[in-house]
Amino acid sequence: MGELAASASADEELVSIGLGSCIGLTLIDRARPVAALAHVMLPDSAAAADGAPGKYADRAVPALIEAAEELGARRLRLEAVIVGGAQMFTLGNGSALDVGARNTAAVRGALAAARIPLRAERTGGSRGRTVRVHVGDARVTVKEAGGTDVPLFGGQVPAARRTTRAGAR
Amino acid sequence: MTTDFTELQLDALRELANIGSGNAATALAQMLGREVELAVPRALALPLADAVDAVGPADASRSAVVLPIFGDLDAIVLLLFSDLDAAALCGLLGVEAGTEWGDSALGEIGNILGTSYINALATLAGVAIEPRPPHVVTDMLGAIVASLLTETAGETDVALVLDSELDVQGVACSMSFLLLPTAGGVAELLERLGMG
Repeated sequence: MGELAASASADEELVSIGLGSCIGLTLIDRARPVAALAHVMLPDSAAAADGAPGKYADRAVPALIEAAEELGARRLRLEAVIVGGAQMFTLGNGSALDVGARNTAAVRGALAAARIPLRAERTGGSRGRTVRVHVGDARVTVKEAGGTDVPLFGGQVPAARRTTRAGAR
Repeated sequence: MTTDFTELQLDALRELANIGSGNAATALAQMLGREVELAVPRALALPLADAVDAVGPADASRSAVVLPIFGDLDAIVLLLFSDLDAAALCGLLGVEAGTEWGDSALGEIGNILGTSYINALATLAGVAIEPRPPHVVTDMLGAIVASLLTETAGETDVALVLDSELDVQGVACSMSFLLLPTAGGVAELLERLGMG
């Protein structure tokens, strides 16, 4: 919760459990493979006192890039997957406080600013979700409340796409 | 508002929760015709992420009744039931859990308990507050609590959770009862208690 983890160990799994309006933000270098995952709770860190960068959309992206690079990921190969950003409640206080949608927008914006392509997402709606990043085969699966894990991204390394990266820069 | 509370302030809030949930327990006992036992409440002031963890395991399935309250003090009253507790409570009320009727019954319980709780609060602290209609969802605990706390925290990183346990005697049925005041709401509450 609000945390950030990275791994290059093939038998490891990175998990964010119970994402509601929060976002599980994954950066992956499928060629290594290296993966990094942050549990983003809020769109921006302007009002924040403490230092946990994984908690805020604007700080999570640079922190994830750094964590992945430390484990040997190449920045140009990083791809993003996002899960969460649901609006679980309609509390009758207007739409101004839809943290889920604002988190989603903030994470997309931060990825665009860092020029990291967003390859897959499962966002919005009203259900809680759990995201699992299987480091060894660079796979991301997502589970909705009451459901089972379903594949969202990865498994194979598309060699051609990595070298061309049309439009990504 | 400051991000940390003194022990004295937390004590005052805990006492407030004790009286509020005592009132709610009485209402529940009358409704069910059974005794209801109340555990000593906790008052937790924690960073968001820790507050979510403190409420319980993130992946546990819970039915939640969410009752927004507004007025002099903005807050959310939250009732949490495990699947078994929701089924037991619905059984006591003669409806089936997980159906529209079950959800409606849980919503109504939330309404009555939440209203009793905040009435006690309103009287004690001299604030005018009203509930909005209840909202019932069944989902992962972490998703429910984090989504609500990010709303009440209003982009600060401190969540205040007043947490009580109600236990219906004679059947295996208990529930968590939480008050999640907004950042401004806590300040207002402490101010009214003369502890701001």
